[in-house]
Amino acid sequence: MDSSGGAGRGRVIARFLLPKIAQCIFVVWATYTVAFLLIHALPGDPILAALSVKGGDATTTDPEQLAAVRARYGLDGPVWQQYLTNFLNLFRGDLGVSIATGQPVSEMVGRAFPHTAAVAVFALLVGFLGALGFTVWAYIARPAWVRNVVVQVPPLGIAIPAFLSGVVLISVFSFGLGWFPASGTNGFASVVLPGITLALPTGAIFFQVFSAAVFDAGASPFVFTANAKGLSQSAVVFRHVLRNALLPSITIIGLQIGYLAGGTAVVETVFSRDGIGRLTVDAVLARDINVVLGVVVVVAVVYAVVTLIVDALYGVIDPRTRTRLTSGAKRTAVTA
Amino acid sequence: MASPHTARMRVLALPVGIAVAALTMAGCASGGATGGQTAAASTPNPDLEQSIVFALKEDPKCLDPQQTSMTTALNVGRQLVDSLLDQNPDTGEIVPWLATEWSANTDLTAYTFTLKDGVTFSDGTPLTSQVVADNFDAIAALGASASLANGYLAGYAGTTVTSDTTFTVNFSAPNVQFAQGATTMSLGILSDASAKASAEERCAKPVGSGPFTLASYVPNDSVEIVKRAGYDWASGLRTHQGEAYLEKVTFPIITEASVRTGGLQSGEYDVIQDLPYVDESRFTTDSYHLYAKANPGVPNSLIVNTTKGLMGDEAVRQAISKSLDRDKINVIAGSASGKAPTSVLTSSTPGYTDLGDVLAHDPDGAKKLLEGDGWTLGSDGIYQKNGQKLTVTVTAFYAQDVLEAAQIQLKDAGIDLQLNMVSSGDFFGAIASGNYEMLGAGLTRTDPDVLRVLLSSTSKSRWGIVDDPELESMLQKQAQTADAAARQKIVDDIQKTVAEKAYVMPTLETVQLHASRAGVGGIEFDSAARVQLFDAAVTAK
Repeated sequence: MDSSGGAGRGRVIARFLLPKIAQCIFVVWATYTVAFLLIHALPGDPILAALSVKGGDATTTDPEQLAAVRARYGLDGPVWQQYLTNFLNLFRGDLGVSIATGQPVSEMVGRAFPHTAAVAVFALLVGFLGALGFTVWAYIARPAWVRNVVVQVPPLGIAIPAFLSGVVLISVFSFGLGWFPASGTNGFASVVLPGITLALPTGAIFFQVFSAAVFDAGASPFVFTANAKGLSQSAVVFRHVLRNALLPSITIIGLQIGYLAGGTAVVETVFSRDGIGRLTVDAVLARDINVVLGVVVVVAVVYAVVTLIVDALYGVIDPRTRTRLTSGAKRTAVTA
Repeated sequence: MASPHTARMRVLALPVGIAVAALTMAGCASGGATGGQTAAASTPNPDLEQSIVFALKEDPKCLDPQQTSMTTALNVGRQLVDSLLDQNPDTGEIVPWLATEWSANTDLTAYTFTLKDGVTFSDGTPLTSQVVADNFDAIAALGASASLANGYLAGYAGTTVTSDTTFTVNFSAPNVQFAQGATTMSLGILSDASAKASAEERCAKPVGSGPFTLASYVPNDSVEIVKRAGYDWASGLRTHQGEAYLEKVTFPIITEASVRTGGLQSGEYDVIQDLPYVDESRFTTDSYHLYAKANPGVPNSLIVNTTKGLMGDEAVRQAISKSLDRDKINVIAGSASGKAPTSVLTSSTPGYTDLGDVLAHDPDGAKKLLEGDGWTLGSDGIYQKNGQKLTVTVTAFYAQDVLEAAQIQLKDAGIDLQLNMVSSGDFFGAIASGNYEMLGAGLTRTDPDVLRVLLSSTSKSRWGIVDDPELESMLQKQAQTADAAARQKIVDDIQKTVAEKAYVMPTLETVQLHASRAGVGGIEFDSAARVQLFDAAVTAK
């Protein structure tokens, strides 16, 4: 009974997850294909663009030499052929070679990704904790005007462009106080300022979603009951309100990770950090097709996997989904 | 290359610069009051650590000086790699470096060199004639990946090694610029192993015989070079001999201009590359040194394709050139250390001739030319003829501010200038297809032969398309004239013709502008306006 129940439950979870995994693979493929088509639809010659990165005003326009380079990078065949070769190579983990630098794309992405991930994780943590703090503060703040002021603060984080907040942070904490480096990717200290810069907009979005959910939950009958039972304020907030407000926040975390994986270009430029964002900007400017596609694939995979995990977490956190899964398991167990 | 990023950075730098200026003034204003200065020769202070932090403006991407033409990369590469010859940036005189002697045959198709004894590369291998031959062969094989170096080696037909220290470089056609090219880092000499390595390997770790060696290069992050112990073959143009003064130079890559200027003020960086022109006035105090040098070659210009649009009409071209107020453009978009162009070569190029009168602002002359050519001023303030408006288009990928200044001036003169700002790739795409009326750009080279590269119909990557047999023959003749005085006469005539017929209409001399704190001295420019750090030293805290 136990083992058949376990197998049944596994089947139900598989039925829950498999379509989502399929969806995940489809998203990656579709992103790759659309990106491939878009970049090939752009006017201009990627070979010339890549050569001009190194060649500057001496970039050759001699057709003979250009043809030789084009053949070297496999850009001489028809587009569908390039698409097929590149796409099949993906499954071998081969993202191709950068036309501008000659380095393997997987190496470039592998080098840049940890730097971006460090900043993104730090920004997520700081943003989430900040949003949590502000939400709790706003929830317990009295009188009403104080609460109204507190609620108005976090949206500033999204109203001020990262470009400006980054430069202000550098001026104060690097050049003024000398606490953190203004640039580079050396150690934790170099993550702090760019992380905070990114945490501002991320935290602001968290706050909007999270506080709405909290106030919603706070106004619900079960909180009224909890208060009436005479539970302490903290018990009400942490045990009842925050727990119920968690679900929408998880959704937004998923979206934020996707944004952070690719949306760090401005911060990386201001803080002169190596990372996925800058890699992408450089690659787009140099029409470096293989690098752009490589980054797109990696970001798409990250995004899809995070979404998958978030979906799976619903199954654990949301009692409605959880019961549907477990009761489904029970039903199969009974029929078995 | 004439820094396409500068203009973009300048646009961004203005608002941010203001913000940073306000904050730094409040937080950590630095002292000093009067006139900035350029550093003279300096001696290191023995009590101070001889290491500096030199903030670069962009990722150098490829450190191999034979392959890259990017100023940032060459500023690093110059320290790692020596050249056969050196050139005095003030006089244009060519002097020995790795080669103690050199001579050319009368028709400039063979150059014979004698190498200095005892020169070694940083991997320990010696410099021999065969290594030089392998270097030049490798450049030829790199093709499009080493386009600038191949330009200097135009017509290369192999190197004959006669002994370990003597060799002859042969050309299939006269190559007048080769001696000059041999002074540039584009023809700098790499070690035997480097010359034979793949293009990508050489980009990441070139090995030369220079006064510094590469310690590390992390793309998009930083480059670090350290002093080469035992170096003893600096060119006679340097102020000292023996090893470099600096033990270590760290080049963090700081793309944001306001961070570079802020870091120089706070002391985080000792030297910064590419100080935005708008910030120049903040660094003219005694606390800083400014380093400014105009790129040699053809200044930022409008370069015409006479087969397109109205550009075949000489009166129109001349009217455009006369309508440009170059002094004003320099004030609007240039460096305070620079000056308006006065020829189709910049004032820092060997062979430059002052043609200030030809390029003077002459609105009345322009008006006369156009009206004599049958153009009448329309009600919209733009000239027209037979229902056709006097509209011309310029294609460019940097220095939009310069073109906008020109656009305003031309509008006042009744000429409608349309700007077509594109990416660098599309700019060269336009050159490849010949589909443009004018190009807006400069061409950085250290020899007047740059005009042949730019305008001759035999030049493989020419920018200016003109049908002028007389000019063509002059361009070819200067390239085959060994006698300096005779060649200079031809070069004078070429500049005059090109300026008068307005094939090239200069707009601005692009200035390389760097800054350091006052306690760092001895930073110099070579003849190509790239930084030479051999004599640099820390002189004060």
